[in-house]
Amino acid sequence: MKTMKNSIQILAAVALLSIASCSDDDGVTIINEEELITTVELELTNQTDGTDVVLFKSVDSDGDGPNAPVITITGPLNANATYDGTVRFLNESIAPSENITEEVIEEANEHEVFYISTLSDVSIAKIDVDSNGNPLGVQTTFQTGAIGTGVLNVVLRHEPTKPNDGTLSSAGGESDVEVAFTFEVE
Amino acid sequence: MFTKQLVAIALFISFCYTNAQDCDLVLKGKIIDFHDSQPLSLAQIYVVQLQKTYTSTSDGSYFISDLCPGSYELSVSHFDCEVKKLSIDVTENKTLNMALEHHVNDLEQVKVIADVHDNHASTQSSTRINKETIVSYSGATLGDALSTVAGVSSLKTGNSVVKPIVHGLYGSRVAIVNDGLRQQDQEWGIEHAPNIDVNTASSIQVIKGASALRYGGDAIGGTILIEPNRIISNDTLNGHVILQGQTNGRGGTATTTVNNYRQSGWYQQATLTYKKLGDYDAPNYVLSNTGSETAAANLALGFKKFEYGASLKYSFYNTELGILRASHIGNASDLVRSINSGQPSIINDFTHDINVPKQEVAHHGLQLNAFKRFTGLGKLSLDYSFQFNNRKEFDIRRGDNAGRASLDINLQTQNVSLYGLIDRFEKTTYEVGIDYMNQVNSPDSSTGVRRLIPDYNANKAGAFVSVTHLPSENWILDAGLRYDFYKIDAEKFYLQSRWENLGYDQQFPEFEINEQGNQILTNPKFNYHLFAFTAGAKYLFDDHYDLAINLSTANRAPNPSELFSDGLHHALATIELGRLDLKKEQSFKINTTLHGNVGKLDFEINPYVNLINDYVQLIPTGLEITTRGAFPVYQYEQIDARLYGIDASATYDFWIKKKSVDMNVNSNEPIYDTVKLISLNSNFSYIHGTDSNNDLPLIDMPPAQWQNQLTWHNAIVQNLDFKISNQLVFKQNRFPDNNYEVSIPNDQGELITSIVDISSTPDSYNLWNAGLSYAFAKANTKINLTINNLFNTEYRNYLNRQRFYADDVGRDIQLQILYNF
Repeated sequence: MKTMKNSIQILAAVALLSIASCSDDDGVTIINEEELITTVELELTNQTDGTDVVLFKSVDSDGDGPNAPVITITGPLNANATYDGTVRFLNESIAPSENITEEVIEEANEHEVFYISTLSDVSIAKIDVDSNGNPLGVQTTFQTGAIGTGVLNVVLRHEPTKPNDGTLSSAGGESDVEVAFTFEVE
Repeated sequence: MFTKQLVAIALFISFCYTNAQDCDLVLKGKIIDFHDSQPLSLAQIYVVQLQKTYTSTSDGSYFISDLCPGSYELSVSHFDCEVKKLSIDVTENKTLNMALEHHVNDLEQVKVIADVHDNHASTQSSTRINKETIVSYSGATLGDALSTVAGVSSLKTGNSVVKPIVHGLYGSRVAIVNDGLRQQDQEWGIEHAPNIDVNTASSIQVIKGASALRYGGDAIGGTILIEPNRIISNDTLNGHVILQGQTNGRGGTATTTVNNYRQSGWYQQATLTYKKLGDYDAPNYVLSNTGSETAAANLALGFKKFEYGASLKYSFYNTELGILRASHIGNASDLVRSINSGQPSIINDFTHDINVPKQEVAHHGLQLNAFKRFTGLGKLSLDYSFQFNNRKEFDIRRGDNAGRASLDINLQTQNVSLYGLIDRFEKTTYEVGIDYMNQVNSPDSSTGVRRLIPDYNANKAGAFVSVTHLPSENWILDAGLRYDFYKIDAEKFYLQSRWENLGYDQQFPEFEINEQGNQILTNPKFNYHLFAFTAGAKYLFDDHYDLAINLSTANRAPNPSELFSDGLHHALATIELGRLDLKKEQSFKINTTLHGNVGKLDFEINPYVNLINDYVQLIPTGLEITTRGAFPVYQYEQIDARLYGIDASATYDFWIKKKSVDMNVNSNEPIYDTVKLISLNSNFSYIHGTDSNNDLPLIDMPPAQWQNQLTWHNAIVQNLDFKISNQLVFKQNRFPDNNYEVSIPNDQGELITSIVDISSTPDSYNLWNAGLSYAFAKANTKINLTINNLFNTEYRNYLNRQRFYADDVGRDIQLQILYNF
């Protein structure tokens, strides 16, 4: 009986001690999203006129936050011209900003960029390939036709089916980027 | 389908009435432990006049048939109790339940109790899952075993994450109490399953309401009490080994329990479990990345006498669960694609490997308990517990982040409680208790992903008192009251745009600490006063019927997820937002239970109503565009909810006389034993949930369900049982329309407006299972062969979050070998 009483006292002491010792006052450190893609830049340079550069840009500085991306296009594309295209995916929520395109190129087998234009006169060819010889789509050639206004969708898929027939529906995978640019050809 | 079932039932009923006898009175009942109400198997009931001994089965029940009217002397014994004699008059079929008192001589050893309910001293609606059922789920999850109870269903993510839903409510609204310890394992998450090994349970009691005040007043859905093996004060070493293998998932479970009891009062208990499964199969394809691996250990060391005792327990649970690869999606377009295609976008060959996306969860529990009985007063019990829960979730990431957890949360909880039981009065029992909880949540900051749940420190202090009064043999009255003070102090980074968009800069400027980049550090602090009250009455009409009504009202404070959620939810492509201005929920529930035990039929009907003020639910509030595409935004909101429903269950046993192997020594005439031939069991549940502010159905309400099971005992040969069961799940026709429209580029580049149908419910389905079990070597060894989803039926379950991506699991053949020692 006496041992019983003692053990209850010991238990109570252990309990109180461990509760007292558990308060933590560590500061909470900020986490900046590392894989966030805030910015999509598509730079198109006229093959015959190096000064004809058009930049399509979408910036969503708060990532999953409530603000919608801000889309800017520096000007129209010229009709019946050929442009070299380069796409960049950036995380500008951290300083210095991170170029996520490098990871996309490193893991080219697990990524593919898709470009879909409602202007059927604009034809887009992917000129880079992954190690299996399948298209990647960071480097492209844009061939414009007649004048008009249309929408260009730029979609980055992670772990798509490769090879695919070039359509979004056959590629599957997860969409990491899906941005629509309304652009003009004149 | 229905007609066939009805005809089958009718046939069996008519068959049963063909064997009526003159001396056909039946005496039956259950033998339970006086202290913890656990059924006592292998208790011996010797009927002096018949010179025959009957033995209670594993669920504690006994059945003595073919009695002529008259007086009988019974002598009841159990291996660690003294023999108790009692005499009864039998004039009609009678149910006589007996509670045996173990290892003492100062209390009466056999207490005859009049009612037949599981929890004989209470008015609450409760159901117990017995050892035999738990054993049959050795390779499954706790949630699967719980869903055998009428009124309990499961909220699933795939087949490995199974959360219990009690009367339509789950998560923080259901308390799980493991061996007296309230489980704290981040239960607020929809895809967080209870971190408990089902094999440690000796019995499980489900209380469908907030009336278990001892374990907290906020369980407005219900409380699940998991009870370990009973302590025996005898020199005994017992236990079991169960090996289970299954074709679906191509793996299995091994579990063993060893109990060592000493007459001195010392005891040791241990349960070890290991489970490994690969990918599950749906009827037509592999469910890629749905494998799992689980290891669990439970160790107890204690000393128990009737007057005093103490114990030290440690439990460990570690699991790695694959999440269906195809359910990890990028945005709403991917979800539309998945819903429209009707099959998973990624189907790989079968593997035992578990890749991302996956969860890794570890739970440690340490418990110290001491109790003392005071002669002529009651019992005082002191408990301390420490729980540590770590949850890691891994998403599909790229570059250096591949293989790094996206979520890594440590939750540490400590509890101290003092509980007093005053049972000195013959007709009235009092219970009182005080408890204190401290909880620290610390997410790891090195994940590179903003925290889903912030750092917080929570404290809760509570006290309760309850009383049970038995004014006469026919009445049980009980009432209880509980108060808790709950305080939560969090530190959270919000995106500044979000903080302002939600208006918190105006509403809660006092929480702001400082701005860092585009984020703002805040310190939300909240206090809640929580009250709970319960009262009930039960009337026992006679041996056959009893009626109970129980009212419970309870408050629940919003959980951390409801307060602080903030971000993208990958499985459903939604942005989920918590709400800082949530008030406490208040529930008013009335449970009515009519129980009858007429001849060979035992039934229970449990209608209930639950009115919940300020019910917290997630509702869609709009669409947000990001670089990833469009996402619907869901925010927590409070409405008044009205839930009502009914659970009904019935068991009917058919008995026949069989020639015994023993001969009557006196007359050399053969003796006839009465043996169970067929048991029919049926469970039905229906629930109706409404948002009464907007007159809309509540989301995620379980559809109506009807389960039937037929067991043919001693089929063909002795100890061979054959079972067939079916589960009919109706289509849920009541659901809120949360569909939304998004613009999705098609292959021609045109933006097509599509409706994302996340609301429609799957069709009804009917699953058939069949099984054989054979016991041998004096019933110490048992082999069970079970086929689940016998016809490989394709179906989707409304309450499975995987239903947008894939069919549920197909046929599964399981073999289980059980050895008791």
